[in-house]
Amino acid sequence: MTTSSFQSLEEAISDEHFPEVDLALRRGRHVGRDDGTAYDYLVDALNHLEPFYRRFGCELMQRADGYFYLLPSGDRLGRRQLTAGEMLVGQTLALMYLDPATLQHGGIVQRETLLQRLSGLLGTETLVRTLNPRRRKFDERIAAETVRTKVAEALRRLTDLGFIDSVDDAMLRLRPALMRFAEPVRDPSDRQAALERLVRSGEITLGEAVEKDDTDEEDENDGSDGHGAEDEEEEEEEADG
Amino acid sequence: MPSDPSRLIAALARDRINLDLKTLDLCFLAGLYLRANRASLASFEEDVLIDMFEQVCDVVDPGAERPRKRATHAIQRLRDQRMLARVDGAGIVRSGEYTLTRLAAAVVEYFLADEALTRESLTLLTGTLRAQLAEILAAARRADTEDAWREQVVAPLRITVGDLVGGIERRQRGLDSQQEEVQVEIAKLLQADWFGAVERCQSLLDTTTHTLRELNEVLLRDTHHFVALLQEIQALASEAEQAEPEEAVQRVIEHVDRIAAWGGARQRAWSDYYQYVHRYLRDVVRLDPDRALSQRLRDQVASWPSTPFHLLVAAAPSIRLLRPLESRVERPAVMRPRTDREGSPDLVDPEDAGLNIETLVEGALAAGARSLAEVTEWVLPQFPADLRYAVTGRVADVLARITRTRSAIERPWRTVAPCLEVEDWELPSEGERS
Repeated sequence: MTTSSFQSLEEAISDEHFPEVDLALRRGRHVGRDDGTAYDYLVDALNHLEPFYRRFGCELMQRADGYFYLLPSGDRLGRRQLTAGEMLVGQTLALMYLDPATLQHGGIVQRETLLQRLSGLLGTETLVRTLNPRRRKFDERIAAETVRTKVAEALRRLTDLGFIDSVDDAMLRLRPALMRFAEPVRDPSDRQAALERLVRSGEITLGEAVEKDDTDEEDENDGSDGHGAEDEEEEEEEADG
Repeated sequence: MPSDPSRLIAALARDRINLDLKTLDLCFLAGLYLRANRASLASFEEDVLIDMFEQVCDVVDPGAERPRKRATHAIQRLRDQRMLARVDGAGIVRSGEYTLTRLAAAVVEYFLADEALTRESLTLLTGTLRAQLAEILAAARRADTEDAWREQVVAPLRITVGDLVGGIERRQRGLDSQQEEVQVEIAKLLQADWFGAVERCQSLLDTTTHTLRELNEVLLRDTHHFVALLQEIQALASEAEQAEPEEAVQRVIEHVDRIAAWGGARQRAWSDYYQYVHRYLRDVVRLDPDRALSQRLRDQVASWPSTPFHLLVAAAPSIRLLRPLESRVERPAVMRPRTDREGSPDLVDPEDAGLNIETLVEGALAAGARSLAEVTEWVLPQFPADLRYAVTGRVADVLARITRTRSAIERPWRTVAPCLEVEDWELPSEGERS
């Protein structure tokens, strides 16, 4: 066991880092080495904070890749499952994180490259259908715009969750927390068994996501009008009769 | 040269500056550069140029036909792009003599010279710079005339010190490009040999880190010393009220600051990169020596739409803060003070000042007026100046009623009083009116 500079839980939560770190963890953020002193604080206070969060029905997880996150197991603390868009984008970014070519730029990738990889891995049609499961027919232009919108939205949420950092409008910095997306295949043995183990530990859920209406959520989150390519497509469908 | 960057860029655009160098051209220039260096030649005769072009052609494009003709074109092309300059001035009298321009030398040096910053080159440059600055300081102490300041302080600052500082900066850029190459090499090594490349990558990282740390230490130590010497020179210039040397010193100080900032910035950037690669080697490469994880993850992404799973994350809503209770504030209605707006009418004098305009108009007609202007001119003097404008309109009205008027398509403007003109009407003669 490492020696903590905090003698008690009281000291740990009296630290100036606690409010920010606690709020970030409860909102689902993955706190990694890139977060500097916040990460150091968690390493230092881990022994006191683990039992503290357990009382709220969640586990403070520490991964060897160098990040912490909070995993709720009961209903005391809210939790959500990532959307299809977030899952696809997250897995593709994890793949890019593993690619030595990303090393050349210190883990910085272009958003455009992400779209190319995503489309190359899944094929455009599968990608469009996975991101728009309720659509029956697609106009090519609107479908492409919808994919871009969904990917941008997924990137925004993955940034909030600490999987990536947004460097600017065109660049992203990949963070080690992306390796959570590779968890089911980390063990070279049976993938199905790995998935079952992760379900049991409350890390993942299987099957289709129960997704909230995106527009509602967007309104809630950032107050934008939520009018996007999808609405345009709906309008066109209605016009077609 | 204009100092304003916008004007400078506009001038370059106006002159349509461009460079178009093929591999053969670059090789030709490099051949000339190397030959000039080896044989200490200041210029080349035309035959030497053609001979060099043929040699280069044999290497770059062995099957090329008519190399002499191509050489002629290449020489002309390079002259057009200011890479070669004819220096003999003999025109068509005899074949020319050419030299490489500064531009050509810079281009070739970029490709040939290995001018990265090393501890040795930096220590040598900073040592020379220190000695030079100390000499200039001594000269500044002695300088008692404007010429002495210019010759012994400003000139060495601009040329010798400028060149030395420029030399350090050029080598810094060389080291920057070396670092970029190291980054590319690390990526390539891992791509090719994955686990087998770990040791080599680690060694590349450590070497560059060591070099940067050493350079930064030298820069930190020496730039402080430079700035102290420069500030002393500047103070002397200021005391002697010599604006030019003061300005020249300021420029060198800024240059030196830039050099010092480079060291810190590069070390920070490299440190981030070092940590990232180090973590990658430890967490990704060493834990997955067969590089199988990427393939398994690729398969997982491809099959995800058919066998989806979703990560779970904490999502505690933000604490809802209720607004503090406020008693309802009665906002007063918008109003303005009541006033009695039904005042008594003012008594004013009648506008026609007791004169009947119609009578006056008839009088004018009887007196022989033949146009609106004449009638108006006849009537207006009967009225005070402030009423004349209004009366003019009434005159026209009366005239239109009591007689028939004629007007041309373009009615002429006539002056009827100071600052007053009317568009004129002609009136029928007395016989026509009746």
